[in-house]
Amino acid sequence: MSVALIRNKDVQVSATRSHAAWPIGTLRYLIAATFTGFCLFPFYVIVTTALKAETAIFAWPPVWSFQPTLQSFYNALFVFGGRSAVSYLINSIVISAVSTFLAVALGAMAAYGFARFSFAGKGRLAFWILSTRFAPPVAFIVPIYLMVQKVGLLDSHIALILIYTAMNLSLVIWILRGFFAEIPIEIEEAALVDGYSRLQIFWRVAVPLVRPGIVSAAILSAIFSWNEFLYAMVLTQSRAATLPVYLAGFSNSMGLAWGEYMAAGTMAVLPILVFTFALQKYLVRGLTFGAVK
Amino acid sequence: MKLAVERRRATLVLIAPALAILLALNLFPIVYALYISVHYWMLARPQPPRFVGLSNYEQLFFDERFRNAVLVSLKFIALAVGTELLLGFGLAFVFNARLRGMATLRKLTLLPSLVMPLVVGLVWFYMFNENFGIVNWIWVMLGGTRVPFLTQGTLALLSIVATDVWQWTPFVMLVFFAALQALPEYVYEAARIDGLSGSQIFFRVTLPLLRPAILIVLIIRAVDALRSLELVFMMTKGGPAGDTEVLPWYLYTTGFMSLDLGYAAAMAVLMLALVTVLSQLFVRQLESRGATP
Repeated sequence: MSVALIRNKDVQVSATRSHAAWPIGTLRYLIAATFTGFCLFPFYVIVTTALKAETAIFAWPPVWSFQPTLQSFYNALFVFGGRSAVSYLINSIVISAVSTFLAVALGAMAAYGFARFSFAGKGRLAFWILSTRFAPPVAFIVPIYLMVQKVGLLDSHIALILIYTAMNLSLVIWILRGFFAEIPIEIEEAALVDGYSRLQIFWRVAVPLVRPGIVSAAILSAIFSWNEFLYAMVLTQSRAATLPVYLAGFSNSMGLAWGEYMAAGTMAVLPILVFTFALQKYLVRGLTFGAVK
Repeated sequence: MKLAVERRRATLVLIAPALAILLALNLFPIVYALYISVHYWMLARPQPPRFVGLSNYEQLFFDERFRNAVLVSLKFIALAVGTELLLGFGLAFVFNARLRGMATLRKLTLLPSLVMPLVVGLVWFYMFNENFGIVNWIWVMLGGTRVPFLTQGTLALLSIVATDVWQWTPFVMLVFFAALQALPEYVYEAARIDGLSGSQIFFRVTLPLLRPAILIVLIIRAVDALRSLELVFMMTKGGPAGDTEVLPWYLYTTGFMSLDLGYAAAMAVLMLALVTVLSQLFVRQLESRGATP
């Protein structure tokens, strides 16, 4: 009985009204709220630790009410042992933005090609592209390092940009392929009759129609580029080093600079919190390549 | 005739750029990794790489540390992904109710899956700290004594598992939630008319219908857990005594601390073989669901 109650939507709707079922509704809230709290608590720790003075960071028992200070942010950004986070932050922004633009532009073109044209080996090619999503960076890092070294692009923006573009292409192609396929073919046929070329139809007719898909693909790509650690760690030193490389420096701080690193962590996390709410709707679809809608 | 030529040209223009990037940064590195793996190849040595046949692979076979890394990785994947699937599955049923505020709670649980893994490692490293960590504080409040979470063998691995569970359970839950929402209502009506009990409906109707979603999320999580090294990098560096030395971490240290690229490439090739098998399973799953490109 209770299983049926939990699963069946019709029963649930009436259950919330009927008197006998109220403990189940309350239990749901209790579990859901506890779980949500558990999910959010570490964010609270990141931000409050970044705002604490040093004595409060190391306090036992943990301090819950304290005078917030921006000292850690200031230190991380401007003074911290000559290792200012500003240039890392700028590199992160530039590399994420450019690689996202490239992945979405090239990915949208390919997705449209897959959705609208048929050619020999199309299915196999599309699934091969899908399988590149599973490429573990750690298994690619040795050949990629030597390749980048050979062409003299170590510690350059362009190397990370191209690698992140490749990393995000499968995601973009598979998200947008579905969106393009959902456009009624009649719209494009009408444009063809009006004398548009195939590429004009893609750019002037199809792309504007899949804007929500493009936005969610772009946000996911930007997040993955922003978060990537291993390639950045191995391929950059200083000139093109991104925020994760800065954060990795924590290991060398003898576990003392909590405030500064939590401040950098806050800067690494905040943009994502903002984006997440923007893309809510397509997230699961995007992350599972349309396998679950 | 002219149209057919234009179509072919358009297809090529659309797909070629994305394909070129993937060939250069996905397919070529795999071939190159194979090439490196049959050489004695030290980074930053003046001597040129020397062909050694399969001796790197042979060495792997007798390498205790490699065997340990494989075991630790398997333990990590089994514990983390297993817990995430069980918890996520149960929670999906909890969240699957049309109750006021439930959607907001669900949206908030999304946040951990999008956070930079390095920051996740940083904040949990802080919370697991023996001297001032909040996890210890809660443990002491509950009547225990301080626990060295990250410096004691089994506990260190379990702490990393717990961290991974924090980050990925919500994603698993959201996938199952979406799958539950997509289940057709009429199937349940039919089952009720047939007089099936609550548990019968669960085991004979819901569970079989959710099988594809279970497989998809299982594969995605297994592959991602296999390649993750950020938590280990931030929290334990593979210690104590190799108890948290997962395969990616051993590969990374072999390549970029011991500078033995040939040996690291051999590990990478084995890892790629495993990931290829898993990604093919994933592709099959999608294909069987009619996701034709």
